[in-house]
Amino acid sequence: MDKKKEYKEWENLASQELKDKNLDSHYWNTPEGIRVKPLYTEDDLKSLHHQIGLPGLPPFTRGPRATMYTNRPWTIRQYAGFSTAEESNKFYKEGLKNGVMGLSVAFDLATHRGYDSDHPRVLADVGNAGVAIDSIEDMNSLFDGIPLDKMSVSMTMNGAVLPVLACFIASGEEQGCSMDKLTGTIQNDILKEFMVRNTFIFPPKPSMRIVADIIEYTTKKMPKFNSISISGYHMQEAGANQVQELAYTLADGKEYINAAIQRGLNIDDFAPRLSFFWSIGMNFFMEIAKMRAARFMWSEIVKKFKPKNNKSLALRTHCQTSGVSLMEQDAYNNIIRTTIEAMAAVMGGTQSLHTNSFDEALALPTNFSARIARNTQLILSEETGICNVVDPLAGSYYVENLTSEIVKESKKLMDEIDEVGGMVKAIELGIPKMRIEESSAKRQARIDSKEETIVGVNKYKPTEKQKINILSIDNEKVRKKQISRLEAIKKSRDKKIVESYLEKIKNAASGKNNLLEICIEAAKNRCTVGEMTSAMESVFGRHNLSTKTISGVYGSSIKNDGKKDLIEDELEKFISKRGRRPRMLVVKMGQDGHDRGAKLIATGFSDLGFDVDIGPLFQTPEEAAIQAVENDVHVIGVSTLAAGHKTLVPLLMQSLEKNEAKGIKVICGGVIPPDDYSLLYKLGVSKVFGPGTNLQEAAIEIINIL
Amino acid sequence: MNLKEYLKIFKISNLDFSKSLGISNVSLSRYISGDRLPERKILEKIFQITDGLVDANDFYLEKKNPNLLSEIQKQKIKEIVNEIKKGNRNYLAKAITIIESTLLSHKLESNLLLSKLPSNQNSIRIGITGVPGVGKSTFIETFGMTLVDLGHKVSVLAVDPSSNKSGGSILGDKTRMTKLSVNKNAFIRPSPSQGHLGGVAKKTNDSISCLEAAGFDIIFVETMGVGQAETAVYDMVDIFLVMLLPSGGDELQGIKKGIIEMADLIVVNKADGNLKKSAEITTSEYKNAQTMISKMRKDLTPEVLMCSSIESFGINEIWNYIKKFIEISRNNGSFFENRQKQKIKSIWNNLNSRLEFYIEKNIKTKEFVKKIIKDVENNNLDVNNATDIIFDYLSNN
Ligand SMILES: Nc1nc2c(ncn2[C@@H]2O[C@H](COP(=O)(O)OP(=O)(O)OP(=O)(O)O)[C@@H](O)[C@H]2O)c(=O)[nH]1
Ligand SMILES: [Mg+2]
Repeated sequence: MDKKKEYKEWENLASQELKDKNLDSHYWNTPEGIRVKPLYTEDDLKSLHHQIGLPGLPPFTRGPRATMYTNRPWTIRQYAGFSTAEESNKFYKEGLKNGVMGLSVAFDLATHRGYDSDHPRVLADVGNAGVAIDSIEDMNSLFDGIPLDKMSVSMTMNGAVLPVLACFIASGEEQGCSMDKLTGTIQNDILKEFMVRNTFIFPPKPSMRIVADIIEYTTKKMPKFNSISISGYHMQEAGANQVQELAYTLADGKEYINAAIQRGLNIDDFAPRLSFFWSIGMNFFMEIAKMRAARFMWSEIVKKFKPKNNKSLALRTHCQTSGVSLMEQDAYNNIIRTTIEAMAAVMGGTQSLHTNSFDEALALPTNFSARIARNTQLILSEETGICNVVDPLAGSYYVENLTSEIVKESKKLMDEIDEVGGMVKAIELGIPKMRIEESSAKRQARIDSKEETIVGVNKYKPTEKQKINILSIDNEKVRKKQISRLEAIKKSRDKKIVESYLEKIKNAASGKNNLLEICIEAAKNRCTVGEMTSAMESVFGRHNLSTKTISGVYGSSIKNDGKKDLIEDELEKFISKRGRRPRMLVVKMGQDGHDRGAKLIATGFSDLGFDVDIGPLFQTPEEAAIQAVENDVHVIGVSTLAAGHKTLVPLLMQSLEKNEAKGIKVICGGVIPPDDYSLLYKLGVSKVFGPGTNLQEAAIEIINIL
Repeated sequence: MNLKEYLKIFKISNLDFSKSLGISNVSLSRYISGDRLPERKILEKIFQITDGLVDANDFYLEKKNPNLLSEIQKQKIKEIVNEIKKGNRNYLAKAITIIESTLLSHKLESNLLLSKLPSNQNSIRIGITGVPGVGKSTFIETFGMTLVDLGHKVSVLAVDPSSNKSGGSILGDKTRMTKLSVNKNAFIRPSPSQGHLGGVAKKTNDSISCLEAAGFDIIFVETMGVGQAETAVYDMVDIFLVMLLPSGGDELQGIKKGIIEMADLIVVNKADGNLKKSAEITTSEYKNAQTMISKMRKDLTPEVLMCSSIESFGINEIWNYIKKFIEISRNNGSFFENRQKQKIKSIWNNLNSRLEFYIEKNIKTKEFVKKIIKDVENNNLDVNNATDIIFDYLSNN
């Protein structure tokens, strides 16, 4: 009674403070569809959709371990993309000296897609975004002098997971470490590749079979190795909101459990080895609530499979601060963003964390920026006292409510997936991809119309440009080196034996034998990653993505602030002069599958009145040029994220010239270091757009260029 | 219409019109009488002022040999024609752009261009319709690659919907035709369906002529089974293929009534994986129903076939049927008859779309018409009378 009265009194007071404004107008409708009130009270704890419980005990909402950071803080796990095995090896050894206990390997794009470095489609991809591994020899140099029985190794690999994991295991044996002693994690989360990152090779069904082969094999023979890291990270990077990230990742997890159970595995034999991977963005409380909701929901999901061991119910996770939240403009702000995100990850109870370097919106991190990123974690862990209490935000009216709302909303999305018959089916139908792209387009519209603030980008813009030092990689040099190595291997090995193993892989692919087992033997006998992949490809086929593009979402979400009218005027003029709308081909060349940017540009520009052609993923420059000619476009928009532009754009320019299409203008957008701008302009590029470009402004500029 | 008629219908005096053109009354009279042809700039102006009702063709018709195109333009068209005959893709692409353009000068160029292209009776024009997502593009990729391997030159025209308010569009068909789109014996051109004069149909027809002149012997026209486009496509192809999903009847699938009746060939796609069973059921259901369906294109009973574009299953059967269909219709002459009929029909179609445009621009905008509409809205006039009044006005002029 009393409390009700008191609350009324607060309401009156609040309304007074807001003057004529209505209290209702101060509710915040989050992009996830959650309505957040301006004030939460203990009343709000009465009807939650989750149980809070205690850490270390089911349903694990408060954390997978009883003591959490009070015993041992989270693992600081930083990775960097060095392009050759030798350089990475040097970096690892340096880390080992300074007490690092876990290594993280990022592979280059060619390896991800199962191409050897000498393949003509990967001219610009070798050494990009990570280390190139063509065979066990590269793996041996990568871990030269590093005892694999003592070192936990985490590998981000999905598409070419079989040959790469096989090379790793075989390399361990060659240095005298039997496979049962290997520790670490392989990402091996193929489903999300079909949704967002596109670093797949085979179609969904054979891909799922590969996942099951790996879970089966590692469960039996490599008890200390995590067979899969179920990742939501790339979904948020592609524009998913937190509820989507959570729901789709858990749904993926469920699918993997099903696959393993179908192999006859016991839930308690593998579930404790499943781990997760979240992206942590700027929506501070939402991220914390997401991580807590995830643990609760996962325990509910696994419970249905009737485990006997409680450990099967506990969700362990790695986190990385959000890459898309980093901006090129006013780049030092990124240090602050990363700090806040890291704090959310820690408050949410992560088991390990990677903090991004502030220059990652521009290029690969330098020593300087990597050090700051690392220090961010050290300061959080050792200066703030956050580690002294487990799950410090539990019981907060707001955080518990948000956790509960996220549980509720995610369940709805998961139900949708169940209705169509599980994640593989939903992916084939393109449902999650479409939803994520919708979110992404809406967010861009909110930013472009300043509903969502990004300091230094759409508000409080800096007046001067800061100069930032960045690292660049000479990928041509890396490629040449890899090629000469491949030649050496191919000379020294026994061709007949190689052929026989490739034949065995083919047979296993069309039959039932465990593919990992055979790939390990093949790797030992010097079959290359590319050869093993093509052997499987000859049976499974290479997956083609059917790109669906949404339209209308950006256009209807953007607020008209006069720019839209301006664009329409410009278009009108253009059409009356040229007889058609400006036509743009958006291309994504090379093996980088991150198509968030390209999709966003395609849907945004078509909503603004352009005719937009989209090219297939993984195009070569020559193919892009031919498409531009056939469709007779006015301009090609090159979307680039993985530093391939320095090789790809010159090739594109050459191809255009060769195809007598020099009249077609070229613009570039994406992650392009400012130092490269002048190079691109020299090549004849008409305009370069960095991350965080306002689409409407860009549209006007492009019309003017034409 | 010609300028004389225009001035009469709209009750515009020669003097007023010459003023708005910025020329003397005398020059205008010469243009009207046909003694002299207006130069390009004036033509463009007339086109603008008359909302496209009087275009260069109206002068063209009167003067057999017009000097409307500059020498440079004529030279350009000649070059394009020659290069197209050689199979030059750049020029082919440019030609289609000219055909699709809304500019008057381009319209003139395209008329000249089309009159110079050789006609080709050896090609096969295949229309494909079906609801979005049924797998048309994927099918064309698989089927097209098969045909290319057999030595054919394959081209694809895809009519995409211009969906949103702003009128822009996303043209993504090539993402589903990754192999075909980079094959040198294939040419794929998706077009935004946003058109002003003439409409999609005319432009697609004209593009087909270019492709055939460039030596492409298989022409696919892909369109969505949701609008009016498929009837238009039906009238420009030799064989019309309707693609279905492996479940439910056509109504359930959102196929419009009457479309199935137009089909020369019904293909149930996605007969693979766990859809195979229902594909079989759907196929036999349609086979049974097919006896009752009136065939619009003579002798052959439409066939119902099943395929999987992803697993390349059933593709050969489809090709065999198409070959048989074409062979029979060539032998009995209906192939050529049909093309001849289509030519005539396209005149009426073009006329219809021009008329529609005319009503849009010149009838609906009239004050007195607006008043009639108001009267109907206020229940002072009934629909039939209103229609009669407006039609009388239209036909009297
Ligand atoms: N299982 C299966 N899926 C198919 C088959 N053919 C196409 N698909 C899938 O169906 C979806 C739509 O295919 P599209 O070829 O884009 O369909 P469309 O009819 O051209 O679509 P619109 O151009 O949007 O009208 C894609 O995800 C294809 O992968 C098939 O034979 N079997
Ligand atoms: Mg299509």
